Amino acid sequence: MKLFGSALRSSLYQLGMMAIAIGGLPMAALAHGAHIQARTATAMEIQANYDSGEPMAEATVQVFAPDDPQTPVYTGLTDADGKFVFVPTAPGDWEVSVRQAGHGDIAVVPVESEGAIASTFTNDAGLTLLQRGMVAGAVTWGCVGTALYFGQRGKNRAHS
Amino acid sequence: MLMNRLLTQTAIAAALPTLLLACSPQATTDTDPNAQSDPAEDTTAAAADGEGELTIRANGEDFVRQGFVTKDGWQVDFDHVYVTLTDITAYQTDPPFDAETGGVPKATETVVISETVTVDLAEGDDSAEPILVKSVEAPAGRYNAFSWQMMPAPEGPAAGQTIWMQGTAAKEGETIAFVMKLDPELAYVCGDFVGDERKGILEASETADLEATFHFDHLFGDGEAPADDDINTGALGFDPLAAIANGNTLDVDMAALEAQLTPEEYQTLMGILPSLGHVGEGHCEETQLVDS
Repeated sequence: MKLFGSALRSSLYQLGMMAIAIGGLPMAALAHGAHIQARTATAMEIQANYDSGEPMAEATVQVFAPDDPQTPVYTGLTDADGKFVFVPTAPGDWEVSVRQAGHGDIAVVPVESEGAIASTFTNDAGLTLLQRGMVAGAVTWGCVGTALYFGQRGKNRAHS
Repeated sequence: MLMNRLLTQTAIAAALPTLLLACSPQATTDTDPNAQSDPAEDTTAAAADGEGELTIRANGEDFVRQGFVTKDGWQVDFDHVYVTLTDITAYQTDPPFDAETGGVPKATETVVISETVTVDLAEGDDSAEPILVKSVEAPAGRYNAFSWQMMPAPEGPAAGQTIWMQGTAAKEGETIAFVMKLDPELAYVCGDFVGDERKGILEASETADLEATFHFDHLFGDGEAPADDDINTGALGFDPLAAIANGNTLDVDMAALEAQLTPEEYQTLMGILPSLGHVGEGHCEETQLVDS
C-alpha cells in the first residue's frame, strides 16, 4: 500500500471528511421518522473497454480498498457504456477487477489524499493512438475518471 | 469571538468538499504430480514478516475436466492433458505488474520453483480441484505476479512433449481417438489472478494459492459461443484435425501436424499456443515460443 499526497493534502482530506460528517448529522432526532440524507463525495469513474475500444457493458466489477484486498467494498455491473462509478474513501492503491465471460483484468488505481487519481498514474502503456486519446479524454473530461482496456478473447463464454 | 471562529471553521469545513469536487464528473450518494527432478525450490530474501505455505496449481478448467463442444461441432473429451512446467516464479511486485502492458515484474520478493513438473490437467472427475503442482514455504506478502515456462517433459508419460492431449472427438456418429503431442517451449509472465476469489495473498503461518490456468477453448473454439466471436474466429477447431486422421485414429506430433495441416492451419495452431496460459481470467504476456 502506498500513501500519496503531502501533509497539507492529508489535512485537506481530513477537513473534507469532517465536512461530510457535519453534513451527515441528522438535523433533528425524530422518533419513527424516515430520513434520506444526501452528501457529496469524490467519485471515481471507471471506463472499461475491450482492447478494440468496445465498451465492456454489464461486466462484473469488484472494487477492493487499499486496506483489504480480499473483500470487495463495492460490487456491481458496468453500465451499457462500460462505466462504473465508486467513491474511494481513503488514499492508497484501489484495485478494480472487471470481468466478463471468462476474461478480465485487475487494475490498480492510486488515489491521493483528496480522492483524485494520482497525477503520476498512467494506464495508457501499450495502447493504440486512438485508445490513448480516449484515456486522455476521459481524464480531462472527468478529472477523476480513468479508462481501462481489457483483452477481448472469448468474451461470450464463462470459464469455471 | 469564539463563536465567530467556530462559525468560520464550520463554514470552511462544510464548503471544502464542494471545492474539492469541482472537477468531478459525477458524485454518488451512499450507495504432485510427477516431479521429475529433485526438488530445488529456493526463495530469495529472508522472511521479514514470517512465512506461510504457497501452493502452485494448474487448471484446465471445465473444458478439460468435463469436455466441451468445439466451434465446429465436435464433442471433445479428454483422458489426459499433460503439461510440463518449469521455472515457476511467484513475485511480490511494486508497482503491481500488468501483463497487458508487458515488461518485467519489479519484484520486492521472489519465490522460484526451479524443478520441472508434469501434471495431468484431466486428472480426477468432472468436479476435480485444480491440479497440485508444488507447495513451498514462502515469505508472507502479496504475490501479485506469476510466471512459468513450459518445456518438453524430460521423462514420464508425456516424455519429449510440452503438451500431450489424449481423448476422443465425436460428431454425427463418427468418433476419433486422438493423441496430439506438442513440444514447443513457451513462457508466460502474468499479473494478479483474476477470478471469483483473490489468490496469492499469503499471511504468516497461513496458506495461499497461485494458479496457472490453461484456456483450451482458444485452440478448439467454443460451440456455445457465436461463430463470429473472437474465441471462434481465432480458433483452429477440430475439423482440420479430423481431416488428417487415419480412419478413426489421430496420433500426431508437431512434425506431423506441420506436414499434414495446411500452412495456414499450422500457423493458426502456432499462433494459439502462446495464448493458452492465463492466471484465472487474467491474460499473460507470452515471452517465448520456440518450436522444439
